[in-house]
Amino acid sequence: MFYIVTTGILTGAALGFVFQRGKFCLTGGFRDMLISKDNRIFYALLLAILVQATGLLILNSLGITNATAGATFPWLALMLGSFMFGVGIILAGGCAGGTWQKAGQGNFNGWIALFSFALMATIMRIGPLRSFRESLQLPEHLRANNSIADTFGISNLILVILLSIIVLFFVIRELRKPKIKIATLKPKRTGFLHLLLEKRWHPFFTAIMIGIIGVIAWPISAFSGRNSGLGITTPTSQILEYLVLGESSLNWGNFLVIGILIGAFVCSKLTGEFRFRTVDAKGAINSTVGGFMMGFGATLGVGCTIGNGLVGTSLFSWQGWIGTLFIMLGVWVASYFVYILPRNKKVKMNVAISK
Amino acid sequence: MEKLLDAVGKLCPIPLEEAKIEIETINSGDLLRIDFDCPEATENLPRWAAESGHEVTNFDTISEGVWTVSIKKK
Repeated sequence: MFYIVTTGILTGAALGFVFQRGKFCLTGGFRDMLISKDNRIFYALLLAILVQATGLLILNSLGITNATAGATFPWLALMLGSFMFGVGIILAGGCAGGTWQKAGQGNFNGWIALFSFALMATIMRIGPLRSFRESLQLPEHLRANNSIADTFGISNLILVILLSIIVLFFVIRELRKPKIKIATLKPKRTGFLHLLLEKRWHPFFTAIMIGIIGVIAWPISAFSGRNSGLGITTPTSQILEYLVLGESSLNWGNFLVIGILIGAFVCSKLTGEFRFRTVDAKGAINSTVGGFMMGFGATLGVGCTIGNGLVGTSLFSWQGWIGTLFIMLGVWVASYFVYILPRNKKVKMNVAISK
Repeated sequence: MEKLLDAVGKLCPIPLEEAKIEIETINSGDLLRIDFDCPEATENLPRWAAESGHEVTNFDTISEGVWTVSIKKK
């Protein structure tokens, strides 16, 4: 138990710290592809996937981990659930891991989203909607082969090589762009502390850190008897189940997600970003509805931006890549209605006023 | 001329989205001051200003977790 608590919280805290410090938000990253024509966070995600895929390939071949894609995945449930999750994270203002992080930096909307997310995920997982979920997940005709390598009859090594070519292309192209000078806050620290707490972290640096944490998490978690890597949705729901029913015992994943909150809290306290941020009625409703959609979608689709977007992808599972694609589609559809339409309306109104 | 956009309490990316709209309502050379408390905006507001060619004349912490940035329209 001591091992589970300490390693789980430490791994989660490292992840929460890096999320907070690097301002690494996949919700914002996917959204900005549409509303700001900015793909940097998407490229950073691909880089994090590559780091993790390479690390797990090495650990697997050394026999240290047994990280595989798994036999089949529920394709219909995955598409529906992931799309819904994508819409939900735009309303809630952050993905599943993001709500833990935002709760840690003092955002009340993060807490609201976290509670409604956990509640709906549990209703779907073990509550009254379980049979509905299983009716979409379990039938054989709604499941397909999950390993991309098996589908094409190649090895994961080839896929890692292909992915690294794609990632290197985008990363080098991005790094070659002329640097613009961006205003920063006046530094208060020097040396290592300045680098750790103040200097702007490049998204690619943050991505590499996240990839490394993802690799390390696997053997640490497996050693506790939980053979999987980073994950948010099921662990979050299990905490609620434990608190309400008291039957199950806590596992490594539960301390991982609690660690994210702690890491984000410590980081935001040190950087001066922590603040109790209250939320107005509209924000509270958005966070609640968004959290419900996230819990519903992530449980139906078996994964969130971390479970599918970062881990499933690095195992080269169809589940991971298709799930990520449908999360992005959901994010874009929601962003169009939440950001682009109102922006166009306001610009038109301003033009009309100035005339 | 300085115009104030009070975005304290608004979640990202609302401060940035509102700044993009407000900057269109002021004249070249005038200032848009944005007060905000969402941490991501400490990154995305100055980045947007730099990418759009506007000049950041002031960027400071008001209190813990609240910041102000003044942007001179190009």
